[in-house]
Amino acid sequence: MSFFQRFKSILSGILMLLFVVLLLLLPDKAYYLVAGVLGLLLTIYGLRLLWYYLTMARHMVGGKTILYQSVIVIDFGLLGSTLMSVSSAMVIFYLLGIYAFTGGISVLRAFEAKKYGGAWKLKLITGIIGLGLAVALVVLGFAFGLTQYLVYGFCLSIAYSAVVRIVSAFRPTAMVYIQ
Amino acid sequence: MNPDFHYYATYCAAQLTGYTHEESIAIARSDQFVDLCSITFLGKMDAPLSAATTQLQLELMEAPTDIIGLQNITRIWSSFHFLPYDLYAEPKKRCSKRYKNKFRLICKPNGALVRETVMLAKGKSMEAVGIAMHVLADTWAHQNFAGTPSLVINNTNYYFYELFEENGGWREKKIAFRHSASTPDDLENSLYTASIYVNSEKSIMNLGHGRAGHLPDYSFVRYKYLPAWGDYEEVVKDNPSDYMHAFCQMIEAMRYLRGDKEDFVCNRYDWQRIAPYEARIKGIICKRQLDSSADWKALGEELSGQEIPPFDISVFQSGYSAAKKEKDNTVLGRFIIAALAQKSMVTNRIYQSGNKLAGYSVDYRKRFFWVDKAYKMLINSRGGDAK
Repeated sequence: MSFFQRFKSILSGILMLLFVVLLLLLPDKAYYLVAGVLGLLLTIYGLRLLWYYLTMARHMVGGKTILYQSVIVIDFGLLGSTLMSVSSAMVIFYLLGIYAFTGGISVLRAFEAKKYGGAWKLKLITGIIGLGLAVALVVLGFAFGLTQYLVYGFCLSIAYSAVVRIVSAFRPTAMVYIQ
Repeated sequence: MNPDFHYYATYCAAQLTGYTHEESIAIARSDQFVDLCSITFLGKMDAPLSAATTQLQLELMEAPTDIIGLQNITRIWSSFHFLPYDLYAEPKKRCSKRYKNKFRLICKPNGALVRETVMLAKGKSMEAVGIAMHVLADTWAHQNFAGTPSLVINNTNYYFYELFEENGGWREKKIAFRHSASTPDDLENSLYTASIYVNSEKSIMNLGHGRAGHLPDYSFVRYKYLPAWGDYEEVVKDNPSDYMHAFCQMIEAMRYLRGDKEDFVCNRYDWQRIAPYEARIKGIICKRQLDSSADWKALGEELSGQEIPPFDISVFQSGYSAAKKEKDNTVLGRFIIAALAQKSMVTNRIYQSGNKLAGYSVDYRKRFFWVDKAYKMLINSRGGDAK
């Protein structure tokens, strides 16, 4: 990892942690912030796809599909943030979907790891926690009306990613060459 | 390539070179073990994880695709399975540095690095010879793909036809791919398993020849397709010819390693030594079957007059854990030293070419640097002269 890559990793981690603090400090504005960030992320992803097409995929057989995808994603990003700021339910469904999907995938991977004799317990626990979180958020959000817990769950996942980014910036990466 | 070639065919090549039965077994065993030495295996043996020469499917699924994860993947797959042909190659059209770096990792036979790989094994253990033979053979089978996840290099599309020799001409049959890893390939219907299309540059689905399935690993198959990097130019892959070249080049390389030849020169093949067996070898290579182990085994046993035991991974396990100070002299210890030397050399060459895809390479002699237990083994094996 170069110095710039390490710097970028640490900086993005710190920015993510600051966003978590902001969400916790402004719970009444949280949905708008989340909706704005999700829309922004999608737009950035679309722009990155476009950049990817210009620098890489245009040399690839069938690379034009990347160009079409980038235009569609940018469109969704711009439109999505508008839709989500209108209805908080969109944000809630998005978050629930993320937890349920990643949890389900972890559980499936745990079963596969067990089949091959690999480490599976931690994956299973992670998967069950993810699925449990999705169920808990449904119960808290829809049955009891405690929708702020959805924000706490979202904060937790961002904080985790931020810490991973910061820690990975300090990992040694050089390969030693011995003649 | 599969165990039939990496184990049994390598044994045959070693026999034709002049190695003894025991030496041939050691070389073939090490050659095949390159496809099995994963961090899961090394972890169980309490051995250095940096010596891994492959990644299991499960490990790949779990592998992070951040910079560090990608560099680790590239180090393993470029060093042992997709040796880059030309680290300074220029694509036909003007392109970005990012694209160029990936393009330069494309594997092909007879590159400068394959010569360095063979030279590196000179005067070393039989395990080192086995690793070099694995790398050399894979440059033939895995050509046109790169040992790094890359959509723009390794992707393939629907244009895939199997070629059958018929009445002096070629009959084409469309190849269909499915994505069920547990289902065996259906040779009769040209139905093969391949990785799914993922439009992410860094997805492990786009590593090596995953998108072309096991086609490069079958010696009998001939096919044509459009490589993602090929600017819509059709490539005809003639595996029987490539496997024959790989076999003869292995003999050429081992003759150098054994001291029969003064130098190993690329593009030279020992056709003479195989002449009495050429028809037989061609027959095995061209036979349409998923596993040709039995045929290679029969040939090998005929050559040596001795029984070839099936590949046994326990040979690598026994002795290593029990040995406390003499680990370097066990089969696994010698394999680890040779694997580290190969990985270290390839990573250094990629880095020296200005390409950071395999990570950074620090010259131990020029700069004081902390080295882990694994590299101390490598330094000690060279009498500490690296210091």
